[in-house]
Order: sequence, then structure tokens, then C-alpha cells
Amino acid sequence: MKNIILVLIILIGTKLSIAESLEEKGYNIAKLSYESGRGFTDMISDQLMILIDPKGNKVTREISAKSLENLDPDDGDKTITYFETPKDVEGTVMLSHTHINEDDDQWLYLPALTRVKRISSSNKSGSFMGSEVAFEDFSAGDYRKYKWKYIGEEVYEGDLCYVLESYPIYENSGYTRRVGLTDELLRARKIDFYDRKGELLKTVFFENYNLYEDKIWMADSMKVENHQNKNATIFQWQNRKLNIGLDKKDFEKSSLMRLAD
Amino acid sequence: MNFENRIENFAITILNHRIKVIFSAIILIILISSGIRFLETPSGYRGFVQDDFKYYQDILELEEKYGNIDVLTYVIKPNKGDIFQKDVLKLIDELTEASWQTPYSSRVSSITNHQFTEVDGDDISIDNFIINVDELTKENLSNLRELAKKEDSIVNFVMSESTNVGLININLEMPEDIAFKKPIDFAWNQKMIFEKKYPDIFVGVAGSAQFSHNFQSVAEADASKMYPGFLLLIIILTYLLLRSVMSSLIALLVIIFSILPSLGSAGWFGFEAQPPLIAAPIIILTISLAHAIHMLSIALTNMNEGMSKNDAIIDSLKINFTPIFLTSFTTGVGIAGLNFGNIPAYSEMANTVAVGAAFGFILSVTLLPALFSLLPIKSNYKESTMLFFLKKLASLIYKFKERFVIIISLICIYVFSLLPNLYFDDYFGSYFDRVPEWVEVKDIVDPEFGSSFFTFADIETNEPNGITNPEYLNKLDEFENWLVQQESVADVSTVSDVVKNLHKNMNGGSEEYYKIPENKALIAQYFLMYEFSVPYGMDLKNQMTADKSSSRMLIRTNYSTAIETVEFNKEVNLWIENNLKPFKTKGVAGIPIMMPHLFTENTNGLLLGLLFSFSFIILVVGLSLRSLRYGIISVIPNVVPFILGFGILTLFTDMVTASHQVAVLISIGLVVDATIHFLSKYQKAISMKLEADEAIQYCFKYVGYPIIIASICLFSGFIFLTQSLFFNNFVIGGMCAIIIIIALLIDLLLLPALLLIFGKKA
Repeated sequence: MKNIILVLIILIGTKLSIAESLEEKGYNIAKLSYESGRGFTDMISDQLMILIDPKGNKVTREISAKSLENLDPDDGDKTITYFETPKDVEGTVMLSHTHINEDDDQWLYLPALTRVKRISSSNKSGSFMGSEVAFEDFSAGDYRKYKWKYIGEEVYEGDLCYVLESYPIYENSGYTRRVGLTDELLRARKIDFYDRKGELLKTVFFENYNLYEDKIWMADSMKVENHQNKNATIFQWQNRKLNIGLDKKDFEKSSLMRLAD
Repeated sequence: MNFENRIENFAITILNHRIKVIFSAIILIILISSGIRFLETPSGYRGFVQDDFKYYQDILELEEKYGNIDVLTYVIKPNKGDIFQKDVLKLIDELTEASWQTPYSSRVSSITNHQFTEVDGDDISIDNFIINVDELTKENLSNLRELAKKEDSIVNFVMSESTNVGLININLEMPEDIAFKKPIDFAWNQKMIFEKKYPDIFVGVAGSAQFSHNFQSVAEADASKMYPGFLLLIIILTYLLLRSVMSSLIALLVIIFSILPSLGSAGWFGFEAQPPLIAAPIIILTISLAHAIHMLSIALTNMNEGMSKNDAIIDSLKINFTPIFLTSFTTGVGIAGLNFGNIPAYSEMANTVAVGAAFGFILSVTLLPALFSLLPIKSNYKESTMLFFLKKLASLIYKFKERFVIIISLICIYVFSLLPNLYFDDYFGSYFDRVPEWVEVKDIVDPEFGSSFFTFADIETNEPNGITNPEYLNKLDEFENWLVQQESVADVSTVSDVVKNLHKNMNGGSEEYYKIPENKALIAQYFLMYEFSVPYGMDLKNQMTADKSSSRMLIRTNYSTAIETVEFNKEVNLWIENNLKPFKTKGVAGIPIMMPHLFTENTNGLLLGLLFSFSFIILVVGLSLRSLRYGIISVIPNVVPFILGFGILTLFTDMVTASHQVAVLISIGLVVDATIHFLSKYQKAISMKLEADEAIQYCFKYVGYPIIIASICLFSGFIFLTQSLFFNNFVIGGMCAIIIIIALLIDLLLLPALLLIFGKKA
């Protein structure tokens, strides 16, 4: 119901042509879209990542993750990632305190070393575990990371979608431009990414949307097609649970240290 | 009806329908020539090999796993001092950033964006090796220099050991069948911008992308620079030789109309405009020119002697039809021997010339007489001085025939003793040694880095995540240690270097941990960590497969000759066979491995082609002369020029490359032409019951002059080819020119003497 009201607001805004520039309109849609996915407090899920090379060979990686919503409008969420396969990395844990337009803080627990290492790097544009997904793609819908522009409307798979163009603010981003489709339920459906030389690099498809807690749409599948190297990655979320009352202390460096002791 | 009558009837028919002949010839020529638009832009070194060539397949397999091997490299060298100066690093930093804009680029690596790890206890910070260039102090710069010298993946890859030269390597992910023009144009534009901004620093463009692009740029430059000058030379030459504007015009038309449809056919066949093809029009031109000169000079002489224009050309056609056919045929057959090689560019050139030879013949006996009959032509053709000289020469030879034979035989025997010094080899590093921009960069890169080429080896474990096995990484190390001791290898980089570096950094940066850890799980976790911590375009995807079952070694090779490379490759394979188990590899692959093997195998093919062309031509000559005796005599003037030609080659070099063989195959069909003309006239003289000395005088009178003229045309054609920027064309042009001029001397001096001694008497 909340979504429908939002859409109405947008539609009325469009029809009445209230003095709103294309940039503001794009920004507003992106903001509403982002906000419609918020309010989960915390979340757990199992994730399956399938890497597919141009010949169709597949490699599968399994991970599970916990995240903690950060309500601070100027900062990002906290996540813990547990690596399960391949067997040699089983037990490796990564804690991230994400930030909006700065490098994230990351700690990694390596069981073979039985130590926690703090890693600082400008890796947001880097590949996640050799996949076609970059770290920065996981928060592709965060309106605070981009400058926006409303381009128009387009029908995608039978649904009317807003076409939004966005430009990354983070200076080490691997992209210069994105063109995305957001449907009337404010769900991102598809985003084209353009690389540093302005050429189409990849397309991310958000699929298998499920309604959680009767109010939050979440894509439980994300398919990435790289147009340049012809590789693809499929990311699937399973057993996703929201609002389960995780302990905030788990998301601090000290709790990761406990694993090392 | 005998053959001569048939030709006469044919000639009369042509002249009776001259307008129809001219129009239908022109229409046909325009139609066929329109294929020129389909001539494909050369796809660089890839177009130089056949798709199924084993060493090219190796490259393709490697690319399927690890991405395209092609690299565009900027070479940065300050005029004074090394690269650890603020403005040099600033240039590298800015150019590195700008390089991400390069069309088709997938990663950019330089000393500034090299991912450098700093360790402070359990805090690991990974960042660009050089940041905030503006704030660097003198002390910072010298610290950076020392740090850089210790980094394996910097030295010899993005910086020379002497620290004097820096490189920016841009990996290109080229779509299939796309030439390098876009990225190269981009790079040259950047070079201009940065050299303007930093006038004291040299910026050059190198790498396999530039190497590949050279094939295209050289072909284009040759075509636009050589052809106009050559055409001008031919116009002057024909006028000087024929002394008739209209006749020169006819010759020019026949020449152009032979060249255009052969290039058109090349287009219809889907050939590539590779540098060797540049030679085709020049060769076709010289053949057609020789035809035209033979036809026109006799027709003009006839007119001088009072014949009507039509009778003069009919008579000329009667005399020339068979020799022109034979010379076109032998030229085509000779050059077709190139098809025995395995370089498509040369086969395509050969087949284009063969088509051109056919057009040259057809037009010389159809269009040429028709035009001659139609256009107003006055003959003020004089050959008295030349004829006088030839008469003198003929009597001189008659007088001293034995001495001529003995002296030339002695020279031949001496030169023959030099030939065993020659050996077959090739040096792909020299292909573009006539391109100043390429040489300028090469002279900086080669002494500092060995070459700007890479070789690769895909080492497989055949199990997912197998590369995290310490046994595997130690084996890579062992292989690397063996490789760097080889003369052909400048440096090697493997994923085991990455692991050793990580192990060190994860242990407080202590040097004693610069080794492969024994724990497989630990190595796997290091890789995981590394993959997490590098930005866009810096990952290990071009070094390992997604399932981590195999990894790619990067080997920077020194320039080596074909023999050295084949030897190196054998040794590598031997080492692999004896030491690499249980891991697997197909061996080393890359441009520095492929090109030498291409030429080695090509050499063997060409030798077979040579055998084919030579025997075929000798057979044709013998058959056409209908005489075993003359067939055998004809072998001598056709073999001696090659012996002497290669004897002269020993003055310059002992290395016989594929280009020298190509030169033999091109010139064999041309050398034999003069012999055919001379012998057929001698036979005719004998059948006219002339005495031996009169028969020689007859030959000199009727073919001496045309032979000299044709040889001069061929000689100038090949001299022009030596102006090519493509080194191989330069060699072919030079070699052919030498052979043609020797053949002329032999035909004028040795052949008559031989005929006087061994020929039939009337």
C-alpha cells in the first residue's frame, strides 16, 4: 500500500509537471526506490554464486551472510560474510563496515592463519571472488552513491519502468555511467553499466523478486552478463530472513577477533 | 592452317572489331576491378598465419582461458635521469589514468597503479604504488626507487632494471576481426599530447598491438608513397624507350588495366591487403610493361621500315604471341610456387600476380593491337646506337666464345664455394626495421627489456582449486628458475610470485616468509583475500582460471632468431616432459614462439615450391622449344643468375630468410622469359639456314634490345620495391633486382657463347 501511494505521488508529479528538473526527478525515484527496500533491521541469507565462462563452464561458490541495517543517513550497512566453499576457504569470515563514497573498512579472519587482518584498499570496483560482480554492485540501488537523471519510460517484460541514468560519485568507481530500469513497484529490474571509457561493460538483471515482511521487495537472483569478456555470473539468495534480532556486537571487529582466539 | 596463320587471322579479327574489343575489354575490366573495395584491411600478425597453424591455435586456446594476449605499451624515457623524478612519475600517473579510455582496453598497469602492499602488524593496506606525486620529496623518490627495484612484478614488466625506462601496459580485449587502428590512433594521440606537455620526456608506442598495426600502416604507407612515384618512372621510361607519346599511352593503359582487375580479383577472393600484396602491382606492372615493349618496339620498327600501321602490329603479334604467352605462363607458374609455403599473405600475393600475368597476356594480344590500330601513331623510333653496340657485342662473343664460357664458369665455381656458408634462418624482430617510429622505440625497449613481446605457458592441474596446492606452486617456481636461465628469456612472472608476496606481507613483511607456504588451505585463503583487495582491472583473472584449476605464466622474451626459438622451444618441451609431472602444459605460446615457427615451416614449404616451379618451368621451356638439347642449354642461363645472386648475398649476410626464397620464386619466371625469347629466335634463325654467327646477330637484332629494355623495367620495378617500409619487401626487391640484372648479363654474354658451342648448326 505504501508503494502504491509513492507511485501515485510520482505519477501525479509527472502529470502535473511540478517544477522538478530531470535530475531531481531521477534522484527522487532512486531515493524512493532505495527507501522502499529499507526497514529490514537485520538479515541473514545463504548465497550461491555461479561463475560461467564463455564456453559455458560453471564454477559454484557458496557463502552465507548476515547484515545489519545502518540508519545513519551518511553511512552504510555492516555485513559479515562466511565462506563455505571451496573447502580450502571454509571458515574464512569477512566483516565489512561499508561507507557510502569512501573505501569500506574490512576485516578478514583467515582460519589457516588463525588471525584477523584489517585490510584497507580501494577495492570497491574490484571483482567479488573472481565474479563479474564488483563490491560496488551490491549496493547498486543506494541513491546516495550516484548522481541521477530521469530519462523517460520504457516497457520491460510487460511492466512500465522508469529509465534512470546515474553517474557514480565514488572516485575509484569502475564505471562512468549506468542506465537502469526501475518498475512501478520501485524495484530495480535491469542496469546497464558503462566502463571508464564509456563503453557498455555489463548488464545486471535483478530477478526472482519476493515480498518480505509484506512490505519489502527483494531480488533473490542477480544475473550479470559481461559484454566485453563474455563471462556471466549468477547470484542467488536462499533462506533469506529479515528482522531476526541479531546482536549488534557481532558486527564489531572484536567479535571477529574471538574467532581467532 | 599452321599456327602463324591462325595468329594472323586472330589479329585481323581483333583489328576488324577494334572498337568492340576496346569497349568490351574496358567494361570487363571495370566489372572485375570493382572487387578492389572488398580487399580486407590486414588483421596484423594474425592475418599472417593460417587459422589452423598449430602455434596460432596454441595462442587461441590460451586466449579462450585467460583473455586476449595483445598488449599496447607506452614506453616512457626521460632525456635525463631515471623515471624517479616528479615530472616523469606525474606523466606516467596521468597517462595511466588516461589509458583507461583506450578503446577495447581491459586493464592498465604501470608503476604508478601497481598494487603495493604495506604492512603494519595486522593492518594491511593495499594501494597504488605511487600516490600524490606532487607531494613527493627527494627522499621519497629515492625510497620509492629502492622499493621498486625489489618488486618482482615491477622490474622488467613496468620498469626496466636500470630504472631508466617505464612502461604502461594496456591489455586489449579485441573483438574478433577488428584491427588495432582505434587503440593505436588513440595511443598516438596521447603520445602527442603528453610529449607536448612534457617536452623533456620521450613517449613511445610499442607492444604487440603496435607490431600488429604496423602490418596495416606499412601496407598503406607503401601503397600511397611508392605507387605514384613508380608510375611516373614507368611513364618516363616507356617514353624514353619508345619515343612515341601514343605508344607510351598504350603501354600505360595495358599496364593499368592489368593491375586493376588483378587487385579486383584479389578483392573478390577476399584477400587481405597485407604488406606482401603491395609487391603484386609492381611485379604485374613490370611483366605487362615488358609485354608492351616487346609488342610495340617491333611494331614501331616495322613502321620505320615502311609497313602500314595495321600490318606492323599484325606482324609484331605473330612474332610475339608465343613468347608473351610463355613468359606470362612461366611467371605465373614460378610465383605460384609460393602456395607451397604456409603464409597466406604470400600465397595471396602470388595468386594476385598470377592473375595479373594472365590479364597482361590477354590484354597485350587484344586491347593493345586494337588501340594501336585505332590511335594515331607516328614512328620516329630509333635504335641505331643500341643496335650498333649489340652488333659489336655479338661479333665479340663469336670471336671469344670459349673464353666467355670459361671466365663465367670460373666466376661461378668461385661463387659456388661461398654458398655453403649460407644457412636458413629468420628474424621476426626485423620486419619493421625500416619504420623509423618503430625502430626509435625498439632501440629503447630491446636493450632494457629484451623485447616488448610476451610468451605464455598455461600450466594445468586438472582439478578445481589445484593451483593452491603448494606442490604446484613450487613446481611453477622450479620452472621459472629454469626458464630465467635460458638465453631467450628476460623475465618470468607466475602466480607463485603473488603467493610468496602475500605470505611475506601476512607475516609482518618479513623477507624470510618470501616463499610458498606448506598449507594448501592457507594459500587458498590468501588468494581469496587478494581477490577481495584489488580494484577494477587489477584482478588475477588473466592469470588463473575461474575454477583455479590452471594458471598462466608470463614470460618476457628476448628477440631470438627462428633457429634459436625452435631450439628454445624444444628445450622447454624437454624440460616439461622430464620435470613437470604431475602437472600438464601444452608448452609455451605467443608471438615470439609462433612467428619463428611460421617461417621455419614456411621455408620447408617454399623449398618444395621452388622444386615444383623450377622443374615445371624447365619442362615448359623444353616443350615449347621442342628440343631436349635447347631445353638443357636453357637450364644454364636460368640457374647461373641465382647462384651468382646468392653469392652476392654472402657479401651482406649469410642468413637466407623466407624473403630470399620468395625472391627466387618471383624472379624465376621472369629470368626464364629472356631465355625463351632468345632461344626461340635462335631456333628461327637456324631454321632460316643462317650460319651460327649470323644467327647470333639475328637474335641480338630482334630480341637483344627488347630483352635489355624489359630487364631495365624489371630492375627499376624491384629497386622501387626496396623503398618499402616492410623489411621483407626490401629484401625481396633487392634480391630480385640483383638476380634480374645478372640474368640480363648472362643472357647477353653466356647464352650466345653456349649456343655457338653447343647449339645446332644450320
